[in-house]
Amino acid sequence: MPESPIIRIDGVTKQFNPGTDRSVTALADIDLTIAEGEFVSLLGPSGCGKSTLLRIMADLTPPTAGSVSLNGKSPATARRDRDYGMVFQQAGLFEWRSVQRNVELPLQVAGVAKQERRAKTAAMLDLVRLPEFARHFPWQLSGGMQQRVAIARALSADPKILFMDEPLGALDEMNREHLQGELLRIWSDTRTTVVFVTHSITEAVFLSSRIVVMSPRPGRIAASIDVDLPYPRTAETRTLPAFFDKITEVREALHGMTVAEDAA
Amino acid sequence: MTAMKNPPLAPTSSEGPSVTRAAGRTSAKAAALRSRLSTGAIGAVVLVLLAALWEGYKALGQATGDRLLGLRFPVATDDLSMPGVGAILGALVEPARRGTSTILGVYLLEEASVTLREAAYGLVAGSLLGLALAIVFLHLPPVSRGLMPWLVASQTVPLVAIAPMVVIWGGKAGLPPWVAVTGIAAYLAFFPVTINALRGLKSPPKVQTEFMRSVAAGRRQLLFWLRLPAALPYLFAGLRLAATASVVGAIVGELSAGTGRGIGRVILTFAYYYSNGPEKLYAAVLVAAVTGIVFVQVLNLLERFALRNRHTR
Repeated sequence: MPESPIIRIDGVTKQFNPGTDRSVTALADIDLTIAEGEFVSLLGPSGCGKSTLLRIMADLTPPTAGSVSLNGKSPATARRDRDYGMVFQQAGLFEWRSVQRNVELPLQVAGVAKQERRAKTAAMLDLVRLPEFARHFPWQLSGGMQQRVAIARALSADPKILFMDEPLGALDEMNREHLQGELLRIWSDTRTTVVFVTHSITEAVFLSSRIVVMSPRPGRIAASIDVDLPYPRTAETRTLPAFFDKITEVREALHGMTVAEDAA
Repeated sequence: MTAMKNPPLAPTSSEGPSVTRAAGRTSAKAAALRSRLSTGAIGAVVLVLLAALWEGYKALGQATGDRLLGLRFPVATDDLSMPGVGAILGALVEPARRGTSTILGVYLLEEASVTLREAAYGLVAGSLLGLALAIVFLHLPPVSRGLMPWLVASQTVPLVAIAPMVVIWGGKAGLPPWVAVTGIAAYLAFFPVTINALRGLKSPPKVQTEFMRSVAAGRRQLLFWLRLPAALPYLFAGLRLAATASVVGAIVGELSAGTGRGIGRVILTFAYYYSNGPEKLYAAVLVAAVTGIVFVQVLNLLERFALRNRHTR
C-alpha cells in the first residue's frame, strides 16, 4: 500500500496500578502502524488489552511507556483538533437531545455556526440512512438505530480516523450483520481510517482490510493478517470459501497463542 | 479499496421503532388525561374518607362518652378538641373578625399568599445557593468533604433556635420582617437541592463523559451540555423537598418575626385564642396545607415541562 501511516504506535506499554502488588501489565511493548484508509480490527479474547490500546490512541488513557502518533501529532493534540471520532459499545446518546442535536454536538463543541451544523447533520443522517428521525429522541429508537446515530455523531466533525470500541457488541445477530454492511458502506463513502475493536472472528474478517490478533497476559500483538477479500463485501461474501478460509486462518492465529500459553 | 455502491438496505422492520407510534399519539394523550383524572378522583376520595373518619370517630365518641370497652378514647371528641368538619368549613365563610366584612377564607388566603411569596423567594434563593454549592463540590472534592459535615449540622440545629437570631439580625440591619423570613426559608431549602443536584451532576455514565472528552469539550461545555441537563431530574426531586421545607421555614420564621403577616402569624394568634373558636385554627391549618400542595403542584408542572422530551423512567 502506498499510503503513509496515519497512526504509529512505538513500544507502548500499559500497566495498571504500577508499583503495587495489584500491578497488572495490560499491554507490553506494542508496535503498530496503520495506513490511511485502512479498516483495521483489533481482535482478541477479553483481557488482551485491545480496548486499552484503542483508548490510548484516543487519549482517554495515558500509556505507561512508549509513544503514539496520530496524523503526525500526539493523541492529546489530535483529540483537541478533532482528528478522530469515537463510537463506544453503548450509544451513549444524550437523552434530552433530539437525534439531530445529538449528531451536531461535536460541531457545537467546536463552535460551528448553527446553519452549517444543521446542513452537516442532515448530510450525516442521510449517510446513516436515518433522515426521517432527526426530530426523534433517543428513547424512541431501537438499539441498532441508536448506534447508527452514534456513528453519525462520531463522523459529524469530519474526522480522519474513526475509533470503534465493540460498537456492535450489544446488538442481536441480525442487527449486527445488517449494521456491518452499513458500516462498510459508510467507510467507503467517507474514506475514513477505521480502528475497530471486537472479539468476534467473523465480524473482524467480514469488515477488515487487516486484522491485528492480540494475546492476553500481557497484551501483545500475536499476528497481523491481511484480509484480501475484495470490497464491496455483501451477504454473499459470507458464503465464499475464501471467507471461511480466512476465518480458519484467524482462528488458528488465536488458537496457536492459546496452545503456546498452555505449554508455557 | 474498490468503490462500493450503496446496498439498498433501508431500515429493516426488526430495527425500526414501533410503527404505530404516530398513530398512537392521540390515544396516548387520552390515556395521560385519563390517568390524571383518576389521580384527581383518588385525591377527592381520600379527602372524603378522611372527613368521614373524623366525623365517624367524633360521632362514636359522642355516643359512648369517649369510652369503648372500658378504654378511654386517645383524643376527646367534644367540640373544643375536635370541631366538626362542617364547623371548620363553615368558619371559612364567616367574617374573620367582628366588625369586618372579609370572610375568614379570604383573609386566610391573603395571609397564605404572603407566606407563599416568602417561601417562593426563599426557594429560589436557596435553590440557587444549593445548586452553586453542588457545582463547587463537584469540582473541588476536598471542599466537599470538608464542608459537608457542617452542612448536615446546619440542618440538624433546631430551626426555632435559629429563626429568632435571623429575625434579630434582619431587624438590626433595618430590613423588613419578610426578608428575614425569606432567609429562613432559603436556609431550609438549599440543603436538599445541594444533595440531589450533586448526585445528578455525577450521574452521567462514563460513555457520555468520555464522549465529551473525545470531542475535546471544555469544562464549561461539559457542565452545561452534559452534567446540568443530566442533573435536571435529580434537581427536581430536590426542589420538591425544598419546596415543602421552604413553606415550613417561612411559617416558623413568621412565628419568630414579632410583627408582620403571614399564615404563621395567623396560626399563632388562633392558637392563642383557641378556646374562642377552635374551628378557626383548624381552618388556618387547612389553608396552610392547601398552600403547600399548590406550591408543590406548580413545581410539578414546571418539571413536566422541563422534562417533557425524556422517556419516563
